[in-house]
Amino acid sequence: MGVQGLTKLIGDHAPGAIREHEMKDYFGRKVAVDASMCLYQFLIAVRSEGQNLTNEDGETTSHLMGFFYRTLRMMDNGIKPIYVFDGKPPQMKSGELAKRGARRAAAEVSLKEAQEAGEQENIDKYTRRLVRVTKEHNTEVQQLLTLMGIPFVVAPAEAEAQCAALAAAGKVYGAASEDMDTLTFGTPTLLRHMTYSENRKKPINEVSYEQVLEGLEMTKETFVDLCILLGCDYCESIRGIGPHRALALLREHQSIENILASLDPDKFTVPEDWPYAEARRLFLHPDVADPATFDFEWKKPDEEGLVQFMVNEKGFSEKRIRDGIAKLNKISTTATQGRLDGFFTAAKRPAAAAGANAKKRAAPASGAKSAPATKKRAGGSGGRPRR
Amino acid sequence: MLEARLAQASVLKRTLDAIKDLVSDANLDCDDNGLKLQSMDQAHVALVALALRSNAFEPYRCDRNINLGMSLGSLSKIIKCAGNDDVVTLKAEDNKDKIHIMLEAPNNDRLSEYSLKLMDIDAEHYGIPETEYDATVRMSSVEFQRICRDLLVLSESMTIETTKEGVRFSADGDIGAGSVTLKQGGSVDAENKETATQVELNEPVTLTFSLKYLANFTKATPLSDVVYLSMSSDQPLLVEYRIEDIGYIRYYLAPKIGDAN
Repeated sequence: MGVQGLTKLIGDHAPGAIREHEMKDYFGRKVAVDASMCLYQFLIAVRSEGQNLTNEDGETTSHLMGFFYRTLRMMDNGIKPIYVFDGKPPQMKSGELAKRGARRAAAEVSLKEAQEAGEQENIDKYTRRLVRVTKEHNTEVQQLLTLMGIPFVVAPAEAEAQCAALAAAGKVYGAASEDMDTLTFGTPTLLRHMTYSENRKKPINEVSYEQVLEGLEMTKETFVDLCILLGCDYCESIRGIGPHRALALLREHQSIENILASLDPDKFTVPEDWPYAEARRLFLHPDVADPATFDFEWKKPDEEGLVQFMVNEKGFSEKRIRDGIAKLNKISTTATQGRLDGFFTAAKRPAAAAGANAKKRAAPASGAKSAPATKKRAGGSGGRPRR
Repeated sequence: MLEARLAQASVLKRTLDAIKDLVSDANLDCDDNGLKLQSMDQAHVALVALALRSNAFEPYRCDRNINLGMSLGSLSKIIKCAGNDDVVTLKAEDNKDKIHIMLEAPNNDRLSEYSLKLMDIDAEHYGIPETEYDATVRMSSVEFQRICRDLLVLSESMTIETTKEGVRFSADGDIGAGSVTLKQGGSVDAENKETATQVELNEPVTLTFSLKYLANFTKATPLSDVVYLSMSSDQPLLVEYRIEDIGYIRYYLAPKIGDAN
C-alpha cells in the first residue's frame, strides 16, 4: 500500500509539487483510474449502518454503486476515465501479501472478540479490515463499465504501473490513485482523491513528478531508491533509516549500493539477501502493456443492458439508474470545452522582470518557512500578499 | 520605477471592467514600451492579453522592467473612484510592495491618492504563436454583444460559421434553436459605415464556442466600435478590441470539441 512517509517528505521538500484542484478543473482531460484500488475503497467506504449494501439475495453491491456514481460524477465534470485493473501481482509482492494475510487473520481474531464483547465500533472497524476483493467483484465491475461504455484495461501486473505508463505515454493526462507508488512508477501527474465521495469535499491533490524530483534534487533512479528505503510493497527497508535519514543519505551517496558500502554495519542491520535491486528493476521497468496498443473509446451506454444488470439482477432503483443513463447520454452528445494549454505553451516570464521579482520573493521566504507544507492553490488565485 | 499618467480615467476604468471578471489576479508587466498583462482564466479555457502602449501616457517613465502583481478587482474599485475625465497617474517604485494611484479632477481642485498592496503571483507566461487565420470578421462590437446576449437564452454554446457571403452565428439548445446571419458589407447602423461587417476569408471556418465566455469578452464593447473575430479550424478564437491610439485587448478562447472523443 504505497510508500510510507513519501507525502510528508514531498510536502516538506517540494511543496510546490502538490497543488489543490477542484474536480471541475479537469474537464476535457482523460484520466487513468486505478480501478483495483477504487474497488477496495468502495467496498470499505460505501456502507450503510456498517454493512455493505446488498441486493435481496445478499450479494454485495457497494462496489457497483461506487463505480456507477463516481464514474457519473467524473463524466459530469467533463472527465473521461479509463479504468485499470490489477493483473497478477509480481512475485516480489508475495512478502507483502503474506503480511497482509497475517494482518487479516489478526483482524479476524479481534473481530470475534469485539463481537463477543458487543462493541459495535470495533465490530465495524474490524469488519472493514476484513474486506476482500474477489474475482466476482472484478468481473461485475467490468461488466458494469462495458454496459456504461467506459473503457477499461486489465494490466499484466500492477494497475498503478499501467496507469503510470499510460500517463507517461501521453495517452491520459494523469493517473488517479491514492497510492504513492504510482509516482515511483513515474507517472508525470498523480491525482489523489479523484474518486472520493463528493460529500467529503476533499480537493483533488495533483502531484507533479517533475517538481517532486526537482524539489528533492533527485534523478528518476535515486527517487526509486528513496522509495525503497522509505518502505515499498516489494521489499523490506533498513531499520533505523527513516525518511529524513534516507533523503540525506541518498543526497550524499546517490544510490543504495553506495549507501550500503559506507553504512556502519553495527548500527544498522541490512536485511539479509535484501532484494533492493530487483525492487528497483520492478519500479523502473514494470510489467506493463504497451500504451501505444490501446485506443480508448467512450461509447454510448447500453440502456436496457444496464437496467437488466443493475435493476433486475442487483436490485438498484430503476428510476435512479435511468436518470444516470440519461445523464450519460446527454454528456456524450454535448461538445466538450477544449483547453488552451494544448495551443499555447508556457514560457518563462520576461527575463528582466523575473530577475527583479526573484529578489523580492527571496525575502518573504524566510517567513514562509514556518509552514513549509502550505499548498498553493493553483490558477489565478495563487497570490500571496507581499509582506 | 514606473510613472504613467493617463489623461482619461475612463479608458482604464473600461479596460479593467473588461478583464476583471475573467482573471481576478494578474501581473502587470511594465517596460519601455508600455504596460502589458497576460493571464489565463482559472479553468485555462480563455486567455486575455492587454497592451497599453507607452505613447498613450503623458508622461510615461519606466527605467527598469517591473511586474506588479495585483488584484484586478481591487484596482478596478479604486479606479472607479475617478471621474471619467480625471487624470490618472500610476506610480510604483522598484522593490516596493505598493502601487500608488493618483486621481486629479480636470480643473485641478480635487486630488485623491490611493495605494494598493501588491501580491506575488506565480502565473505562467504563455507564448502565443503568430498565426495566419483562415477567416477574420470585422464587425460592430455592439452587434456582437447583442448576438451573444440573444443566443445565450437558447444555449451555452454558439457556432460561428464564416463563408464568402458573410458570417452566421447559431445556437441549438434544449428549448429551441436560433441563428443570426450578417451579410458581407452590410451595416447594422446605417449612419456609421465604419462598423460594416467585413469577412476576410482564406477558407470557410465553422467553430463552436462557449457563450458564457464570449458574453464575458463583450464587456470590452465600450472600448471600441468594432471587434475582430479571427478563426482557423481547430484553433482558438481570437477576439480583439483595438483601443484607438492606445493599445488593445485580445481574448483567446479554446473551441468546443464536437466529437465526444
